[in-house]
Amino acid sequence: MRLVDALGTRCPVPVTLTAREAARAESGDLIEVLADDPMVLVDLPAWCFEHGHALVSIESDADELRAVVRVA
Amino acid sequence: MSADAPAGAAYLDAVTSPRIDPRIAQAMAAFVGTDPSSPSALHEWAIPAAEALARAREEVAALIGADDPDAIIFVSSATEARTLAVTGLHRANRALGAGVVSTTIEHAAVRGAVWGLERSGADVRELGVDGDGLLDPDDVERAVGPDTALLTVHHGHEDIGVVQDVARIVAAARRARPDVRVHVDAGASAGLAPIDVAASGCDALSIGGPPLGAPPWCGALWVRPGARLQPMIVGGTQELGKRAGPECLPGIAALGAAAAIVRTDAPARQRALADLGEELTRRLLEVPEVVLNGPRTGRLPGNVHVAARGVDGESLAAALAARGVAVAPGSACTQDAGKESPALVAIGRDRDWTRSSVLFSLDDQVTEREIAVATAVFAEEVSRLRALAPDAERARR
Repeated sequence: MRLVDALGTRCPVPVTLTAREAARAESGDLIEVLADDPMVLVDLPAWCFEHGHALVSIESDADELRAVVRVA
Repeated sequence: MSADAPAGAAYLDAVTSPRIDPRIAQAMAAFVGTDPSSPSALHEWAIPAAEALARAREEVAALIGADDPDAIIFVSSATEARTLAVTGLHRANRALGAGVVSTTIEHAAVRGAVWGLERSGADVRELGVDGDGLLDPDDVERAVGPDTALLTVHHGHEDIGVVQDVARIVAAARRARPDVRVHVDAGASAGLAPIDVAASGCDALSIGGPPLGAPPWCGALWVRPGARLQPMIVGGTQELGKRAGPECLPGIAALGAAAAIVRTDAPARQRALADLGEELTRRLLEVPEVVLNGPRTGRLPGNVHVAARGVDGESLAAALAARGVAVAPGSACTQDAGKESPALVAIGRDRDWTRSSVLFSLDDQVTEREIAVATAVFAEEVSRLRALAPDAERARR
């Protein structure tokens, strides 16, 4: 699984970093996204929808969130 | 050898800034001209900068045995790399615990960052070293506990030159806690002594320009993918978001070119510096009451850190500079404040020695003549400065 460590960065940086990783990935690759900006809960699903990627999961607790994206 | 040295007669201050190889200067020069040099832009003007950035990342990764060039974060200096590593690893791994383990002789940047963590609630433990400055891996294993999130240790010591057995230290830490994050500070040693991130098993490695023959105003931090790092400078996607802000292309190109040069001929380079360093050491120790700080063997090649009893180190460095011999005070950050060198205190030197050191450090361009001039001037200035304070000198005896 590919990894995007976006901890400490604010939107849109986490989504931009994920998009950059997706551009280098093969179709079907999984990308794990680590982040701690709550806006990722909104922005990442929207970006996935817009670009046809599948949001496999997204979990968050008080401090950070972890999402898995399957590249279109 | 005459000691009547002209200005600029001997340059032995590579630790501060080495003389630059023309190939490295050429790599830098490509980005200090009149052309724009942002690698992030979408137009064709960005292509040379983007290519240079990618090439430098690959060269630095290859130097330290890193598989993934994207794990290299370019920064402004080894100091920034150390600060980012210590602070960023601990902040991103708070779930592992509040504990930080370090040593008494880490670089001031590491100690400062650890101090910052301590003020934010981290539980800090500093380990001592032996008379040569060596850290005992068994002490590391005992110190790392279930609440330890971060261990930060150096590879080669900037002042006293000792090179630690990093692989054994990391293995000891992992025996105590497999997921403890380990930062290795190779800011003074990557390029001068072999270091391989895969073999060492560490999570982060700081790199600086001077030991590679590059300027001091460039550096890099390698972080193992998955180790988790909080950035300190945010607001952009440069360096994968871990160090926002436009990249300093001259420094990055210099570091990449230096890494490529060193990597192709590391053993021969290290042997040549070690041989000249040994010759310098032998000559300096012929001066009465001069001692070598740190081990005689197993130290950074070209690092010769000596103390002269009864002579203030900063005064000696200034006296040498006045006669064209460039060296560094033994511990610049503390001697400016009139304090003792922490590293010398840690290895057990008493007060007669802890303020009396200077550091000779060799670059790739140093000559035997420079060493001869430097040692002759050193002998004269030590004698002259001792004669200026004969009462103090007698009182010490």
